[in-house]
Amino acid sequence: MSLTINTTINGKSVSGSAETSTSLLDFLRDTLNYKGTKLCCNTGECGACTIIYNGKPINSCVTMAADANGAQITTIEGVAEGDKLHPVQQAFIDTGAVQCGYCTPGYIISVKVLLDRTKKPTAEDIEEAVSGNICRCTGYTKIVDAIQLAADRMAGRS
Amino acid sequence: MAKAEYTVLGTSIPRQGGVERVIGAGIYGIDLALKDELHGGILRSQYAHAKIVSIDTSEAKKVPGVHAVVTAADAPDVRYGRTYIDRYMLAKNKVRYMGDPVAAVAADSPAIVKQALKKIKVAYEPLPVVLDQEEAMKPDAPTLHDDMPLPKNLPEGVKVKNVCSYTPVHVGDPDKAMAEADVVVDEVYETKMIHPQYLEPRIAAAQVEPDGRITVWANAQAPFGVRTDVARLLGIPLNKVRVLSTELGGGFGGKASGITSGAAIEPICALLAVKAKRPVMIVLDKAEETISTTIRSGAKMYIKTGVKKDGTIVARTGKVVYDAGAYSGFGAMAGARCTNMLGGWYLMPNCHIDGYVVYTNKQVCGPVRGPGGPQAAFAVESHMDSIAAKLGMDPTEFRLKNTPKAGDKIIGVPKLRDVSLGETIKTAAEKIGWGKVKLEKNQGIGIATGSWIESAGPGGGAVVKVNEDGSVTVHIGKIDMGTAPRFGIPLIAAEELGVPVNDVTVVNVDTDASPWDAGTVGSRAIIVSGTATKLAAIDARNQIFKMAASQLEASPDDLEIKDKQIRVKGTPSKSVPLATIATNAHNIIGEVIGRGYCDNVAMMAEEKARGSSQPFTAHACIVEVDTNTGNVKILKYVAVHDIGFPIHPVAVEGQIEGATAMSIGQALCEQVVFDNNGRTMNPSFVDYLMPTINMMPRIETTLVHGYPGAGPYGAKGAGEIACVPPMAAIANAIYNATGVRIRKLPLSPENVLRTLKEAGKA
Amino acid sequence: MDYFEPKTVSEALSLLAKYGEQAKVIAGGTDVMVDIKYKEEPGCLVNIKKIPGLGAIQENGGSLRVGSLVTIREIETNSIVRERLPVFWEACHQFASLQIRNTATVGGNICRASPSGETLAPLLVLEAKGKLAFADGEKSEAFNSFFQGPGKTTLGYKGLLTEIEIPYPQNGSRGVYLKHAVRGAMDIAMVGVAVLITPDAAKNGLQDVRIGLGAVAPTPIRATKTEAMLRGKPLNAALVKEAAAMAASESSPISDQRSSAENRRWIVEALTRRGLQQSWQAATGKEVA
Repeated sequence: MSLTINTTINGKSVSGSAETSTSLLDFLRDTLNYKGTKLCCNTGECGACTIIYNGKPINSCVTMAADANGAQITTIEGVAEGDKLHPVQQAFIDTGAVQCGYCTPGYIISVKVLLDRTKKPTAEDIEEAVSGNICRCTGYTKIVDAIQLAADRMAGRS
Repeated sequence: MAKAEYTVLGTSIPRQGGVERVIGAGIYGIDLALKDELHGGILRSQYAHAKIVSIDTSEAKKVPGVHAVVTAADAPDVRYGRTYIDRYMLAKNKVRYMGDPVAAVAADSPAIVKQALKKIKVAYEPLPVVLDQEEAMKPDAPTLHDDMPLPKNLPEGVKVKNVCSYTPVHVGDPDKAMAEADVVVDEVYETKMIHPQYLEPRIAAAQVEPDGRITVWANAQAPFGVRTDVARLLGIPLNKVRVLSTELGGGFGGKASGITSGAAIEPICALLAVKAKRPVMIVLDKAEETISTTIRSGAKMYIKTGVKKDGTIVARTGKVVYDAGAYSGFGAMAGARCTNMLGGWYLMPNCHIDGYVVYTNKQVCGPVRGPGGPQAAFAVESHMDSIAAKLGMDPTEFRLKNTPKAGDKIIGVPKLRDVSLGETIKTAAEKIGWGKVKLEKNQGIGIATGSWIESAGPGGGAVVKVNEDGSVTVHIGKIDMGTAPRFGIPLIAAEELGVPVNDVTVVNVDTDASPWDAGTVGSRAIIVSGTATKLAAIDARNQIFKMAASQLEASPDDLEIKDKQIRVKGTPSKSVPLATIATNAHNIIGEVIGRGYCDNVAMMAEEKARGSSQPFTAHACIVEVDTNTGNVKILKYVAVHDIGFPIHPVAVEGQIEGATAMSIGQALCEQVVFDNNGRTMNPSFVDYLMPTINMMPRIETTLVHGYPGAGPYGAKGAGEIACVPPMAAIANAIYNATGVRIRKLPLSPENVLRTLKEAGKA
Repeated sequence: MDYFEPKTVSEALSLLAKYGEQAKVIAGGTDVMVDIKYKEEPGCLVNIKKIPGLGAIQENGGSLRVGSLVTIREIETNSIVRERLPVFWEACHQFASLQIRNTATVGGNICRASPSGETLAPLLVLEAKGKLAFADGEKSEAFNSFFQGPGKTTLGYKGLLTEIEIPYPQNGSRGVYLKHAVRGAMDIAMVGVAVLITPDAAKNGLQDVRIGLGAVAPTPIRATKTEAMLRGKPLNAALVKEAAAMAASESSPISDQRSSAENRRWIVEALTRRGLQQSWQAATGKEVA
């Protein structure tokens, strides 16, 4: 059964159609061509598909496309401010936290939500924000560095 | 090696390709969408071992929206393989593991593909299944490959089955020396199957061009390997196949088709495109990957060592039984490496090890990050601690006692020109607080070392083109997955050509245009492509100097390039812009094209002559064991490495930290679990558990000054070595904490608790 | 697959009555979406998130009412829950990942009725009740009788859970939820143990004790024999040890890819012991003698 979805993505009103069984992830990637949100485990276990949905980070692969109706969605494509990278994006580059980069969009979304809420995240805050984001390349050490660097820069401490 | 002598080498410039990754650009294989494409899917065996009696695709072909259904009957009768040519791209006559591809469909949508796959009727005659590699060797085991011979070099009188490779290691007179040893320790170690679980699923896309050539897109580590496989399995010449590499979301050796005879989805996709007469794209599901694509094998390792009272090792005997899986894949190479490394990297005057690589009805061995090494090191380095305990010796002292010196040989390396092993042990001990840190109850400290052989492998080339504006385009045959091609390689070209790093572009692989390469595997990217790029840049530079010499009225030997200017050394006013010379080249030679290559034979001969410099490492950690539940928490972790000259230090650290994490995963939580029928019970991320940030310690990396390696400017490869020590480091720390030695991976809570209970400690 | 977004509970119930076994209710979707992708598409998907009135947390005298559509994260960030129902809070805090907690609902976790469902053992020890809506009316049911088997509840195919009510524990009570997993939060619990105790006036023994076990039986269970054995006796280390062993014997775990049955019993014993010790310490300020 086909549905019409009317939603807001990165501040822009967007419409598209999807099957009732279509996930929000597949709707973003295949129908609307937003390739930034990544497909990995497809079961809500890795965080590569993380988007901001009505202010909250969620796994789009286990969310219905139908639930995008009327929602405010931010994807990785909406994080940079025009041509200027968001401090989280820049910090990931600067600390070497981007190797293959496949987990990176999901991480940036999760970290942006964290740092919009908390200026000085503790280790527990960081753990809570990104325990649901798997990285297979970095071993996490430089990701933690990136989060702390971004926090410092956003708070004017660096 | 002082960094001061270089302009950019040794600096950690931001990764090229970083911006597109942080903004989520659609650069990966999975982001590809071909015009008019069909979706492809693969039907896989439902039995771990069975004869294929018949395949009826007629109903599947009738499903509306289906454009092609293929089986082995639609492809040439050709097999592929690395050592044994034992595998069809679509199973013919027999299936040998549950992920074995049997048929494939191309259709308008993934839903129709799914429908059609369900309608393919395969009649199987199940055969007995063998899942354990030692069981598979027994004379009464089911035979997996009727037409594959036993290895020719098996010793006389050895009666085995299903062995596809045999590696003997023999030095001195181990039986005699063992008999004369003061203390003997005899143990058995075991590791389990691991999947590399790169995050981006494997894809393949193929289309037949108007001129009849086939273009294949792949997120593959070895694009030329893909080309070889596609050409061979479809029976077409290499010049009729073009492979374009997409960016990769991780690989770790699991996306190295052609190296491994692993999963062959590219040839299957190409076959579908030919039959459907439309472009086809296959995207694997992660759960499908776990059951079907290449893995890190489990190994059973018997290790017995004799030592003198003072701790001097006098002899080692042992046996490795390495699980190849259903096809030989990368088994022979990985099993040989495991066997050699079971001899350790310490002084070993007498040694005999038999290494068998054995077929079983399970997923196929691939060149997964440090193939054979982590398994051997788990045994060797745990065993070293067992010996030290029996001697009452400190584990670091015992290792230092047996550390080789410059000029010595170790198993697998005829001559060492230098040895940093001692330095890495001492540094790791210092960083972890060995003998100093106060440990609480159930806390323990452990150390483990490692080594890896990097200078064995194919050669490769590079082409460096200097564009008329002085910018530089580099062609190598290796892809970037967070590795040298976009970290260190641009630095090399920039250094030798005196241009800013951002003026250098390393392009992705197109087998029509890039130089042949084995691919991004084997810690070889900086060694092979780095050497080749350096020489190609120098070649380009020499051509530039030749053309500039007359203009500057100087000899080419008196010229240098700095900041995009070619000038006479010592007389900076006599200069001409690089862009001018590069543009003028159009009228003379057409274009400045520098060519360079890494000559593997020459490199190996040089290593043989002057000795090798190993990328030694020592890791150490502090753990805390919950003796009520078996949970192990790593409190502190240090990784100390000799990587020679780190051309891009942050890239090197990144590889070390990532490889360490991967082996921490193998140590604590990863394994592929099977039922008795050979069905994978944990294919998805729900139950295939990889390390998450909350269970990982900060990995504190130290690069010791080390010794120059075989790579350019003395670099050593960094991609795999850090996979080698972690499992033993953790096992040794658990032993230190609890007094209990665990010899079977993973060190999961259940296995730890069980071993503690068996020892009466819980 | 038919799809509906009912605007009222009775609309939803009519759909469930009409489609019976063919209907699947979807709330957060973190379980159902995986089923749709990897198992079967149901004949009809009923998205209940548009039904108003099911998303509130409100106090009701001596208990807390939580709408079935309240997300796990909303529960986790609710200060009343954290203060007054810490056992329930802890389960929500250790639930999967932040991303999942933001969409998964407490109703979904309950109705999924997985033996290892994170919130289930805590709800049993808190003696929470559910409000079950059927076409012929509503009824209140204690969760102690609600779970019938893996994936099976007294809702059957036609009922809808609209709300849960959790009575605040007696003054002086303390409890813990202990989850056994390999990595931590992300994992499905291999074993979950919820303990709630009320010490007697003399702080000598247990006036009341409740032990809930998850992932070690076809449903979450209470270790009732163990509870009966403990009640009224002076608490000491030997009694705790005996209780832990008894709780393990009350469990009937299976062996699966996550754990052997034997290991699950070991963990029930270890975590019951730990749960009793920690709860006693929190309630009385003393260690178990």
